Order: sequence, then C-alpha cells, then structure tokens
Amino acid sequence: MTPIAMDTGALVRGLYCILPEMVVIGTAILVLLADLLLPEEGKKRLCHLSVAGVAAAILSALWLGPGKIEGFSGMIVHDGMGLFFTLTILAAALLTLMMATGYSEWEGTQKGEFYALILLSTSGMLFMAEGTDLMTVFLGLETLSIPIYCLVGFHRGRMRSLEGAMKYFLLGAFSSGFFLYGIALMYAAAGTTRIPVIASMMRDARLYGNPVFLAGIGLLLVGFAFKVSLVPFHMWTPDAYEGAPTLVTAFMGAAVKAAAFAALLRVVLLTFPAILPAMSGVLWVLAALTMTVGNFSALLQNNMKRMLAYSSIAHAGYILVGLTAGGVAGGQAVLFYVLVYAFMNLGAFGVIMLVAQREDDGYDIDNFAGIGFRYPVLGGLLSLFLVSLAGIPPTAGFVGKFYLFGAAVRSGYVGLAVLGVLNSAVSVYYYLRPVVSMYMAPAPEGIPVPRPPRSAFSFALCASAAAVLLLGVMPASALEFAERSVLSLLM
Amino acid sequence: MNGPSDFIFYAAAALTVGSAILVATLPNIIYAAVALLFAFAGVAGLYVFLSADFLAATQVLVYVGGILVLILFAVFLSNRLADVKISNPGHFHLPAAAVCLVLFGVLSYTAVSTPFAVKTAVYLPTTADIGEMLMTRYLLPFEVASVLLLAALIGAALLSRPERGTPEKADMEEGRG
Amino acid sequence: MVSGVLDYLWLVPAFPLLGVILNGVLALIAERPFLLKEAGLPPPGGSHGHPSRGNSHATEAPGSHGSGASGPHSAPVYRNVVAFLAPGAVGASFVVALLCVLSLAARPPEGRTFVQILFPWIQSGSFLAPVGFQLDPLSSVMALVVTGVGFLIHVYSVGYMSHERAFARYFVYLNLFMFAMLMLVLANNYLLMFVGWEGVGLCSYLLIGYWYEKQSASDAGKKAFIVNRIGDFGFLLGVFLIFWTFGSVSFTDVFARIPLLRDSGVLTAGMATAITLLLFLGATGKSAQIPLYVWLPDAMEGPTPVSALIHAATMVTAGVYMVARSSALFLLSPDAMSVVAVIGAATAIFSATIGICQTDIKRVLAYSTVSQLGYMFLACGVGAFAAGIFHLMTHAFFKALLFLGSGSVIHALSGEQDMRKMGGVRRYLPVTFVTMFAATLAISGIPGLSGFFSKDEILWQSFSSPHGSPALWFVGALAAGITAFYMFRLVFLTFYGGSRMDPEVEKHVHESPWTMTVPLSILAVLSVAGGWVGIPASLGGDNRFEEWLAPVFRSVAAAGAHGAATGAHPSVSLEFGLMGISVGVALAGIGIAYFLYRLRTSKPAEIARRVPALYDLVYHKYYVDEIYEWAVVRRVVDGSVWLWQMFDALFIDGIVNGIADGVRSAGDRVRRLQAGIVGGYAFSLLAGAVLLVGYILYRSMVP
Repeated sequence: MTPIAMDTGALVRGLYCILPEMVVIGTAILVLLADLLLPEEGKKRLCHLSVAGVAAAILSALWLGPGKIEGFSGMIVHDGMGLFFTLTILAAALLTLMMATGYSEWEGTQKGEFYALILLSTSGMLFMAEGTDLMTVFLGLETLSIPIYCLVGFHRGRMRSLEGAMKYFLLGAFSSGFFLYGIALMYAAAGTTRIPVIASMMRDARLYGNPVFLAGIGLLLVGFAFKVSLVPFHMWTPDAYEGAPTLVTAFMGAAVKAAAFAALLRVVLLTFPAILPAMSGVLWVLAALTMTVGNFSALLQNNMKRMLAYSSIAHAGYILVGLTAGGVAGGQAVLFYVLVYAFMNLGAFGVIMLVAQREDDGYDIDNFAGIGFRYPVLGGLLSLFLVSLAGIPPTAGFVGKFYLFGAAVRSGYVGLAVLGVLNSAVSVYYYLRPVVSMYMAPAPEGIPVPRPPRSAFSFALCASAAAVLLLGVMPASALEFAERSVLSLLM
Repeated sequence: MNGPSDFIFYAAAALTVGSAILVATLPNIIYAAVALLFAFAGVAGLYVFLSADFLAATQVLVYVGGILVLILFAVFLSNRLADVKISNPGHFHLPAAAVCLVLFGVLSYTAVSTPFAVKTAVYLPTTADIGEMLMTRYLLPFEVASVLLLAALIGAALLSRPERGTPEKADMEEGRG
Repeated sequence: MVSGVLDYLWLVPAFPLLGVILNGVLALIAERPFLLKEAGLPPPGGSHGHPSRGNSHATEAPGSHGSGASGPHSAPVYRNVVAFLAPGAVGASFVVALLCVLSLAARPPEGRTFVQILFPWIQSGSFLAPVGFQLDPLSSVMALVVTGVGFLIHVYSVGYMSHERAFARYFVYLNLFMFAMLMLVLANNYLLMFVGWEGVGLCSYLLIGYWYEKQSASDAGKKAFIVNRIGDFGFLLGVFLIFWTFGSVSFTDVFARIPLLRDSGVLTAGMATAITLLLFLGATGKSAQIPLYVWLPDAMEGPTPVSALIHAATMVTAGVYMVARSSALFLLSPDAMSVVAVIGAATAIFSATIGICQTDIKRVLAYSTVSQLGYMFLACGVGAFAAGIFHLMTHAFFKALLFLGSGSVIHALSGEQDMRKMGGVRRYLPVTFVTMFAATLAISGIPGLSGFFSKDEILWQSFSSPHGSPALWFVGALAAGITAFYMFRLVFLTFYGGSRMDPEVEKHVHESPWTMTVPLSILAVLSVAGGWVGIPASLGGDNRFEEWLAPVFRSVAAAGAHGAATGAHPSVSLEFGLMGISVGVALAGIGIAYFLYRLRTSKPAEIARRVPALYDLVYHKYYVDEIYEWAVVRRVVDGSVWLWQMFDALFIDGIVNGIADGVRSAGDRVRRLQAGIVGGYAFSLLAGAVLLVGYILYRSMVP
C-alpha cells in the first residue's frame, strides 16, 4: 500500500483560509472547558469569552482580506463574497453575544452549552458561506442547523419553545433530505460536487437539458428555500421564531438567513444563468408568493415575535427579488440587504427583549403601549428599526430595498418590482402598529419597567442603530464593497 | 449477468421499498422499527450491486447493528410512548399519497429520460480509496463533520440532562431523537 | 462674491436640523419627569394627561387651558429656550434662503440654476444619487414660502402651544418637519426628494397624532400615513422608471436628456405617460387629491398651527411642486396632462361642495384646502405651471392665515370648533377678525387681493391654453363661486350674528397674545399684497412672478414636445370678459351666503329639510370614507385572513383559535402536535417541492 502523499503547503494554506472558522470553533471548545472550571456565579465570563472569540474571528477575517484564497483542494474559498458574508455573520454573532450579557441573566441561558452552540452554529454558517463544494455547503448547513434546533428548544420549561424546536427539527430533517437528494442527483449528472466545475459544465451545455440535473437543482432549491423560509416552505418559521428564546430568534433571523443566502447566491449566480427561463420563473413566483404571504400574514399578528417572524419571511421575499434579477446589480443588492437586515432585525429584537418582561405573552403588542415617551431612548430605537424594516428613508432599509427593486427593474422584472413596492407599502401598516402603540396608546396603570440593559447590551443596540442610520445616509462604501465582492465571484 | 442477479436485485429493491412503506404506515412503533431493519438491509444489498463493498458493510454495521438497536432501546425505555398513537390519523393519507405519487412520477420520468453514461461495474475493493479520499480531497468535509458531531453531542447532552422544575418536558423529547 | 452666499445654501436645511438636535436634547432632559407618573404632578395643560385621570378630551386640547392649574407664567426656563431656539432656527434659515435667492436673482436669467453637491449618497457604477441641493427660481419660491410661512407659524405656535406639557417635543417635530420639507424642496434629484417626501409624511403623522391620547387623533395620524403610502408607492415606482429610462435621477440630467432620448425612441409617449402618472399618483397622496384626499380632513385632529403649516401651506403643496418640477416630463404626455387637469378640476369642485355643509371650522378649511390644491393641479394640467406655483404661494399666505385665525378663535373659545356654537366673536377678537376677513376676501377672488390674481390666472389659462378647455374653465369658475359661498358662511357664522357660545366659554373669550396676532397681521399683509408680484399684462402689470419662473418652465417648453404653453395671446377682451364672470360668480357666492346666514338665518335648515337625501349625501361627504372602508379596507383584511389561512392554517383545524387561546394543557398540546400540524407542514413542503421540480423540468424539457 502506497503511503498517501502529504502536501504540507496546501494544508497550511487551507488552514489559513479557514482561520476565522477555526477561531470560532476554538472559542467554542474553550467555552466548554471553561464552563467546567468556572463557579456558578462566574458563568458570565463565558459570555465575555465568546464575545472576545468572535471579535478575534472578525479581526482574523479582516486580516485575510478580500483576496481569493482557495483551500482544501477547492472545497472552500475565501474570496470577496466570502469575506462580506463572513463579516456579516460574525457581526450578527457578536451583537447577539453582546446582547446575551443581559438576556442570559434574565432568561436562564447563562450556560456553557448555550454559547458553545451559538459559536458552533456560527462556524457552520461560515463554512456554508465560503463553501465552493456542495459537500461543504451541506455540512455547513447541518452544522449551523443542529445547534439551532437545540437552541430553539433551550427553554425546556416552555411548551412553545419545545414545540417550535420539534417542528423545526422534524421539518429541517425533512428538508435536509431534499437538499441532499438534490446534491446526489446533481452529482449523478455532473460527476462532481464542485460548484465552479458544475457552472462551467453548464455553460458549455454539457448539462443542458439533463433531467436528473434539473431535478437535482430543483431539490437543492427546496432545501435552500426551507432554510430562508420561502413560501410555501416557511411553515415552521412562526412557530420556531415564537418559541425560541428571543435572543436565538434574533440570531436566526440575522445570521442563519445570511449564511443560507450566501450559499444560495453562490449557486444561483454561477449556475442559474444557464437555465434561465425556468429558473427565473421559479424565483419570480417564489419571491412574489413569499413577499405577499409574509406581509399579509404579518398584518394579523398580535405577538411581536410572531409578527417579526412573518416579517422575516417577507424580507426573504424581498431578497429573492434581487436574486431573481441576478447579475452584478442583483447580487450587490442581495449582499447589501442581507447586511442591513442583520442589523435592523437584531436591533428590533434587542429592544423588544428589553421591553417584554417575560417570554410568550410578554411580546404582545399591547405590552408596548405608552412606553414611547416614558422611555424615549428605547422607543426611539425601536421606531428606528421598525421604520428601517418598513423601508422608509433615510434608513438603511430604504437604500437596501431601493437597490433590490432597482435591480429588478433594470433586469426587466418591472412587475416584480411593482409587487415589491406594493408589499412594502402594506408592510408599513404592521410595522407602524407597535409604534402607534408605543406613542399613541395610553399606558396601562401598571407601568412596564424595561429591564435595565447591561452596558454591552446598550452598546450592541447603539451599534445596530448607528449601522442602520449610517448605511442609510452613507451607504456608498458598503455598496462598493458588495459590488466588488460580486464581481470577484463572477470574474 | 442476467437471470439470478437480476432477480436478487429486484428482490432487494422490493424489500427496501416494501419495508419503507411499512415503516410509514404501521401503527405500532415497534413493528415499524423492525420493518426499518429490513429496509436498511435491503439498502445494503443495493450497495453490493453498485460494487460499493465498503458502504454495504458500513450500512450493515452502523445502521442495522448500531442505529436501529439504539432506536429499539429508545422505544422500549420510553414507556410513555406506548400510550400515544404515533402514526397520523386519517385525514392526510389521501392527499399525501397523491403528492407522493406525483413526486414518484416526476422522479421516474427524470430517471427514465436521462441519458446516463453507463459504466460496466468493476468489482474491486473500495475501502482504501475511500480512506485516501477522506484524508486528502475530502479532508475538509470530514473535519467539518466532526464539528457537526460535536455540536450534536452537546445538543443531545443538553436536552437530555434533567432540569429542575420542568415536569412535562419528557413528553416532547423523544421527537428530537 | 455672488456665489459666495450661495455656497452657504446647505445652511438652509441645516438650521432646522440643529434646532431638532438642541430641542431634542432639551425634550429628553426636561420633559421626561413630566411624563413619569411618579412625578405625580397634575397635567398643567390637561391635554397631555393620562385619559385614565378622566381629563376631558372631547374638544381640541388648547381649550382645556382655561381650567389648567398653571399658566405660562410658571413656565420652566427651558421652555423659553425652546421658544427662542425653534423659531430662531427657522428664521435663520429664512434669512439664509433670502440671501441666496437674492444672489441668485443677481445672475442673468439663464444662469439661475445653482447646484451644490454635499456628498455622494448612493453611488455604484453609473448610478449616482448625491445629497445635493439645487436652487433655481422654482425651488427658491418654495424655499422662501416654506421658511417664511414656517417662521411665522413657529412664532405663532409659541403662543398657541404655551399650555402644552410636551412643549419641546412639539417643536422638535416641527423643526424636523422644516428640515424634511427643505430637503424635499431643495433636493437636486428625485431620490433625495423622496427622502424629504417620506420625512414630511412621518412628521405629519407624528404631529397629527400629537394628542395621542385622543383615539381619533392617533387614528387620523395612522390614516394619513397609510393613505400616503399608496401615493409614495407610485412616486417610488415613478423614480424607478425614470432611473430605468434616463439612467439618472438628478433633475438636471433627466431634463437635459429628454430631447435626445425622445428622438432616439427610447422615451416613448407611453413611457412618459407611465412615469408621469406614477409621479402624479404620488402627488395625489401627498396633496390630497381624488382619490386619496380622505386623509387630509381627518388630519385636522392635529394642533391648529400644524394644520396651517403642514396641511395647508407647505407639505400638501409638495405634490404640486413635484409636478411642476417634472413639468418637462408631463409635457411629453398629453394624456397625463389631461388626467392631471381633470383630477384637479374634479377635486376642486367635489371638495368645495363638501365644504358647504361642514360645521367644524377646521374641516371647512380642510376641504377648502383640498379644493384649492385642485386648482393648482388644474393649472399644472393645462400647462400653466407658473400659475400653479403662483397660486401655491398666495394660497400659502391666505390659507395659513385662515388656519391660524381659526386657531385663534378656537384658542379664545376654549377649544370649541363647532361653528354652530360660535357667533359674534368679532367683538372679542378684533385683530383675528380683520385679518381673517382679509384672507377670506383673498380666497374668494375679490379683485386686488392676492388670491384674485393667482386664481384668475389659472382660470384664464384653463380656458385659453392649448391643453385647456371651456369645460375646465366652467368647473373652475363654479368652484370659485362655491368657495366664496362657504368661506363667507364661515365668517358669518363665526364672527357675525348673536352669540351662540356656551356661557361658561364666553366668560373666558379673549384676544390672543402678540406671538399669535403678529404673525396673523404679517400674513394678512401678504394675503392682500402677495399677489401684486404677478399682475397680468392685461391689467397693466408685468407679471414679474411668471418672468421669474420663466427660465425653469421656458427651458421646459423648449424641451417639451408642444412648444410654448403660452401660445399666441387671444384677445384681451375675452380675458376681461372671463375675469368679469369669475368675479361675478364669486360675488354671487358671497351674496347667497349673506342672504342665507345674515338675512334669513332659518333658510339653511329649511333647505336641508327640503332635500334631505342630497343634504345627507353632502353632509356625510358623499360617504367616501365608508365606501373606502367597505371596498378597500375590508377587502384587504379579508384577503389577508384568506392568504394567511390558505398558507398557514389550511391543514390545521382551528389554529386561528389555537393562537388566540394561548394557554392550553400540555397533554392536549402534545396530542395536537403529533396529530397533524407537523404533518401538514411537511405536506406543504412536499407539495411545494413537487411543484417546483415539476415546473423546472417542464420549462426546460418542453420547448
């Protein structure tokens, strides 16, 4: 038996390329070990450790820079787009963990496992965002999902938490089946799972009209559609979002979505132009359905978490508009919007976390009555985030939506853009409801006193607000970064 | 290679599909678990036909020998499950069957209409190649899988560890596997 | 040196923004204790108290000041600071704007466009939307009107709102509004204009709902915002189409590219119609035209100075400004022009008739505003953009004055807004009466006053312009007569006759403080004399106003397809004839009002009895609100429920109740879980997957 030739240089380069992932995984293991050593009252150090780890991962990602580094025989690549999504995901994780300083104390998630699961899930997202092989993407998807299933059910004493986790888990396993089946079919047709190779095979028509391959792409799309909760694959979303500890909900909305869209974007931008007519039809319908059902369902919700869950469905629809448009403009719009959505979503959840006294019925809209003037900073922040979600200038949400719909118009999908703008007009109604309740409803007798935020928590909220405003007023550099990232992928 | 080998192939396929249908429809979960055993065995037989000797062996060892035994243990140990009817009550069978049939149609159409590049099977041991692949080309997925397992382990430990003051949690946990 | 002043153009919006920040800090620090219940203070003005305390909010809030424990004398120091800062900021930006306009006027007419780019806002590839300001004759008129009238109303507000607890907060909103409005007016591209557009909408919403404890106020705010979103949707789509067609959103680029693109066939008449109709949809929302006018009358729930500033003088005219700004595009599409003209004329007459039967003094003025805005759109629709802007300016003067005057009356009458409970107020409020009377004469189109010149210009153009027609003129003239009627009805009911006031109220009636009467007097002077800048040639004037705007609209006419909108002037005698008719109609309206409300005061009720169905129809504003409620709001709610159930509750028996129920026993819940919800979810997933894969295969395999 011949010994396997070992290419040390390639291995080192590969490890260098996954430096942020390794930092995150290392932090997770450190947190688990530290959990054993720390006394009960010192558990909040775990949170600090996680924050430091993610910050270090951000620095290492920045250190790698936007240049293209391939690793592990093309299984993973760190390129401009990878960097963009890495930073988005890590920023979301960082903000989540900073909010955890407060949340964990109130809701009993001050445990080593909690942080370790968040970090492991983050590493899965990073693998997914940078994977250039369907195998890596799938493993990243599972690595991000399994911790999330557990995190959704973290509150084992709450029926809704368990219910959400169970539904999410069962359906998630089901959709993973589709995903994997899709990959298998694509492999059967193409003989490889490398995304760039498949793309080039599609371009020179070797795979054109191959039914197995098409079915594979369809099933793969179903798997993605489940993760980013596109209608009709969205059923789990409201239950899981409502049941999960709010911090986890915020993390799911911001980071999971970013990772799934990263991988989807890689697949779509590289491969779908070759099968355009069918694909654009599918994406068109999915986007239209998702926006409409998400927004109109959100109109009827009285629970903030549930409302934001439907809103996140609707936002997935908006992002899909950019994907449908395709090309540099569409890709750029998707990247920018994913970033913006992470901030506004985390911010909105952060504020309602402070206002709601307890899980479940604490998030009823009535609970927000009259807090606007009583707690002007909280009220102002929540209004800002909601206004941004609604896409009203001068917030980042407006610029993001403008780019998404602008890209659609430029690619000739005027109908879809009309539908999108109409939908965001509808969405204003439900985003406004909490604002109306905060500022224009009489406060009840028993004044709800928001939880006193920890300094890291306040910092996270302020950072999100600053990002939402800055990206709204001066989005130029972020947009340029997004554009360069997409160009680097398409080159 | 016609004749008996064809017959065995169809037998294995029928065993797999038939047992799988039984798993989905049997009302008693223990019977369903036993049916699953046959489905796994059938899949192992199909692997043999694909000249995937290592996979066939692993299938038998891990799934039949390991996972299924775990499932049976879980069923026996969670006494409460005996009271709860596991399978779906009637109102979904018809539409679900219809959709499944359509899916079956779509997939068989795909399979039939695709011009597959047919390779003659070469029966050679694959274990060494798989091992080498896992250490070279597929090193990253291999390692990521270990992270995945770590995460699953932590999650399982977390969810199964008793927590004070949560009396009704036991009802829910089996569903998570 | 000349452009030296213009380089400070950015200060115009910057001053109000500074005011927002400073007042905002004051509001956060100083007004917080007021809002905390622990402070235990009785609400001084009453208007900001908690409803649970049983404060009466049946009438508009300033009314409750009579019973308030503390007057302005015990006002904390910070209020004086706010009272100085907020109007000061707007005054400063008026001064800067004035200096800028003067230095612009020193330039030759063709060079009167000044663009100042502050920084690139959105930039990628060929697309550039900067934060930049453009001062040209059109935007300078708007900037002066906005800052000038805005300043006066700020000063007035100091007096009017002096009893409010949330004093600083009010001025934060008001300054924020000024900032947004100036962004709208001064923006050099459509996208930045949209930012201001949304900003004023937001401030309008905040200010309408200022007395948020009043359910009607917060409902009105919401209604305004949501109705406006429909318009904004049109505006935004219009901007998308502009960007798609022209590759730019900045005014100068878009208008400069029109001839080229039209000749090359990129810019078809259909595209121009689509763009302009979408923009006009935006304008109907913001400027309260049919079919989106319904929010404006309800917006009167806000404080009266807000009604004067936002819902009469400035924000609601943004649509007119936008249409005039885009005149080059509108001129490309005769269809869109006709739509604008017809909608404008229809709105003018429709809302004028509603104004006849209203009893709430502010609602009469609200419908009058809608009607006057219709005039402005009529002018734009017949190509007389300069006349539209002229009317916009004079209307800003006299309508602001009317609102402020009515505010003064309401203030004096402890919040009474029902004209049936007024009467004879003239004796108590001499300044208010005189100034309001002047404004009423102006709006009725009495020769010599500002409203006469602008309104007559519009009527003349709607008759003589190539886009006009006698029918449009007739509708406009009729509406003018009705306007004169209901305005004098308002004056007679309010100021003349015997007192119908509540005796308790009558004891407290008093003329308003100088902070309120001085702005009234200044506006009265403007209402009388403000039209003298635009005396038409036929009356011996030189129409300097049109000349000032000519560079904007002349270059437009050159770019447009139809040449000069002001064609060969038909005979002067015809113009005089029409002028005479419209004056006659106005005088007739006044005469009928005098007859019905001074001589035979029992007659109106008698008429109402005679034709109950018609009276009912008009009194209930043609039931438009109810029809909208039934045809739109109900449908949307039903549709949402349907969509939601269709996708999320289709397979689950009773999940709608399940969510509402909230708590249920654990065992029950588990059974429900296993019994099918997940199965239903999985079913939809599977069905979706089959459809998706099937569709992809079908589209790719079947040619």
